[in-house]
Amino acid sequence: MALLKHDVIIVGSGAGGAMAAYELTKAGIQVLLLEAGRDYDPLTETPMFHRNADAPLLGSGNVDKDFGFYDATVDGGWTVPDEPYTSAEGSDFMWWRSRMLGGRTNHWGRYSLRFSEHDFKGKSRDGLGADWPFEYKDIAPWYDKTEALVGVCGTNTGLDDMPDSAPGVLQPPPKPRIPELLVAAAAKKLGIPLAPMHRAVLTQPLDNRAKCFYASPCGRGCSIGAAFQTTTSLLPMAKATGKLEVITNAMVRAIDTNAEGKVTGLSYIDKTTATEHKLSARVVILAASACESARLLLNSKSPKHPQGLANSSKQVGRNLMDSTGAGIGAQIPLLRNRPRYNEDGHTANHLFVPWWGHEAQARGELNFPRGYHFEIGSGFSAPGSWVSGNFQGYGKALKDEAKANYGASVSFALRGEMLPNDDCYMEIDDQVSDKWGIPVAKFHWRWSQHEINQVAHGLQTAKDILTTMGAEVGELPEPEKAILKGGQIIHEVGTTRMGESPQDSVTNQWGQTWDCANLFVMDAGVFASNPHKNCTLTIMTLAMRNANWLAGQIQQGVL
Amino acid sequence: MSDNQPNSKAYHYLPTMSRRDSLKWLSVLAASAVLPGVVACTPNSTSITSSVVGHWPDLKLTPISSVGYGKDPNLIIPPRSAWPRTLNAEQLTLVAMLSDILVPRDGDIPSASEVNVPDVIDEWVSAPYERQQNDRPNILNTLAWIDDEAALRFGQKFVALKTEQQFAIMDDIAYQTEQTPSEFSRIAGAFSVFRQLVLAAFFCSPQGTKEIGYLGNVPIAGDYPGPSDEALAHLDEILNKLGLSDYVYTEQS
Repeated sequence: MALLKHDVIIVGSGAGGAMAAYELTKAGIQVLLLEAGRDYDPLTETPMFHRNADAPLLGSGNVDKDFGFYDATVDGGWTVPDEPYTSAEGSDFMWWRSRMLGGRTNHWGRYSLRFSEHDFKGKSRDGLGADWPFEYKDIAPWYDKTEALVGVCGTNTGLDDMPDSAPGVLQPPPKPRIPELLVAAAAKKLGIPLAPMHRAVLTQPLDNRAKCFYASPCGRGCSIGAAFQTTTSLLPMAKATGKLEVITNAMVRAIDTNAEGKVTGLSYIDKTTATEHKLSARVVILAASACESARLLLNSKSPKHPQGLANSSKQVGRNLMDSTGAGIGAQIPLLRNRPRYNEDGHTANHLFVPWWGHEAQARGELNFPRGYHFEIGSGFSAPGSWVSGNFQGYGKALKDEAKANYGASVSFALRGEMLPNDDCYMEIDDQVSDKWGIPVAKFHWRWSQHEINQVAHGLQTAKDILTTMGAEVGELPEPEKAILKGGQIIHEVGTTRMGESPQDSVTNQWGQTWDCANLFVMDAGVFASNPHKNCTLTIMTLAMRNANWLAGQIQQGVL
Repeated sequence: MSDNQPNSKAYHYLPTMSRRDSLKWLSVLAASAVLPGVVACTPNSTSITSSVVGHWPDLKLTPISSVGYGKDPNLIIPPRSAWPRTLNAEQLTLVAMLSDILVPRDGDIPSASEVNVPDVIDEWVSAPYERQQNDRPNILNTLAWIDDEAALRFGQKFVALKTEQQFAIMDDIAYQTEQTPSEFSRIAGAFSVFRQLVLAAFFCSPQGTKEIGYLGNVPIAGDYPGPSDEALAHLDEILNKLGLSDYVYTEQS
């Protein structure tokens, strides 16, 4: 078993890859982790407390820093220099990438909601999409372990959309704030409950990570480790075992196989020298992100795997899903000139609107099959490059109007489940290669009527809540225009989905590809469906469970 | 209106800049004779469409060709001058004066120019990014239009006008409503872009941030305290007014 220096090579250091590295090294297995981006140190690189005025252009976003100057993302965003992607005619897909140790976990929203049995078995219920190849009870203990390790604040609500965690797992959530409490009352009148958001933010210390001090937006990263990212938790913990080696700036070009079609290792390009290197390993785990891993498989053709590696089902790149997204907001006149206090909190939702429509859907009262939730936009936020209000005039009256408007707007961001459809997939664009000579991903995208109907329902519901809060909302936009672009919510999943059968899925429930026993996928590519609840917690939970299973296979000599 | 309104020809806004920038700036100043003047904007020559009446400078702007700060800038020590500034001395002084009309000194609270808002405007209109490039023609045409209007109406540049003359122009362009006369509708729209940016830059300054009442960005040692008693009492009033007092949020189970 120790013939190779590394038993396992992992591609990608984000949510899935870092969790796999943590779990495997903890089990004593030698792991080499490759990251396409540069090394990154949150301790020294996070702009904690920096004010927007200290950044160029008041910290506002642009093509270099899409989510604002201070966003943690390095060398990425909607575009990556020298690494393009393409879209088919009529398709408009946006692909967020980062090129840094820790990947997108350095900036993610930290919303961490469990999928439920309802979510895992959608097809059994309504005949659409695909079921997952396990039940909620199989994964529930792994959610508990992941939440305890990651550190998630929230409560057990008993709501049907929010499965309970084991007692003692969740950390206490922070107190709700004024606009959230107003939304909660208005929604309650309409029969819609609000609940504490579950967030991967510590409200109590954990390991050597400090608790949140309720300042500095989490999207910048968190130098004190309160907001979870792999660079302050899983990666240092895995390194501490002495079993983990990391190579950054390593862009994997292809997975290598032998004459029998078995995976032998991989080839990567050292971006700092633009030279190609080969590595061998007993097992390869892809955790490069759903579309990057699928791209790699499709680019790893061989006589044994003419359609790309692990693609005998022809499902690699198919079933691409994002969350639906749409937003609507209004000024709440009664919130004007409200008393000031520090409303930063943990800098994201303390309360949110979980999906409340399971029963209505079961009764056939809704014209769309899957649920959504609302995230609430509100608060006395740090001044930035935009001042809320429709301003007239000048002088003190103008300034007073801006002050009156401050913190008086509330918006609802819909995040919903979409179903896989034949028009949404990715493939390799054989006309375009990136700087490293690797053919790029080409996206195809079209929302179905399910998603349009869901967004229409969400807009009307948000309008009803805003109206109940005393706002004038006006005419709603057409849902076809209001729905955001594919990929824009950055929850892209499904391109290497898991299932019960090699005929219609790429991996089994362990993320092990049906075609190559020593090749695994541990990112969101394996998702069989895309529940509305943000994918990262489930990426990590699956990676923990499946890396644990893989460790057993290695230790038993099966792999 | 404010007695501090700077309206003498001697007033010049002094941007915060390094000596090297100053030297570069002086050379720009020397070349600033090309600043659009009255000659270029007779009413007839500048009507854009039949629905637009009045004059419009329609500046032929050279696109900004500098590059941005890239995808991996230093976030701890942000770049201070990522691209060359492009406003000349005359424009900066006009920006300062307009900024202070929009946000004048208010007791102890400084005016917009006192917290360097014109520097932010200069950085903004000089930046190579899309949002700023979209704002640039609005803002530069606003500056040119205001000087043109000042010249047409009063025979002088705006900064040289008497305070009441300046306000006469402001009163015509600072309101964008259905009643806005058509000759002012376009400038009112462009001016609102400038106004929005002046407000944003003002409230981002330490004094402006204090003025708007942002109390965050300070570390809290214990639990997040939540809303103040005053804020909760105010919420109760709101809930009462909206008939929502029976629906107060309580945590589930």
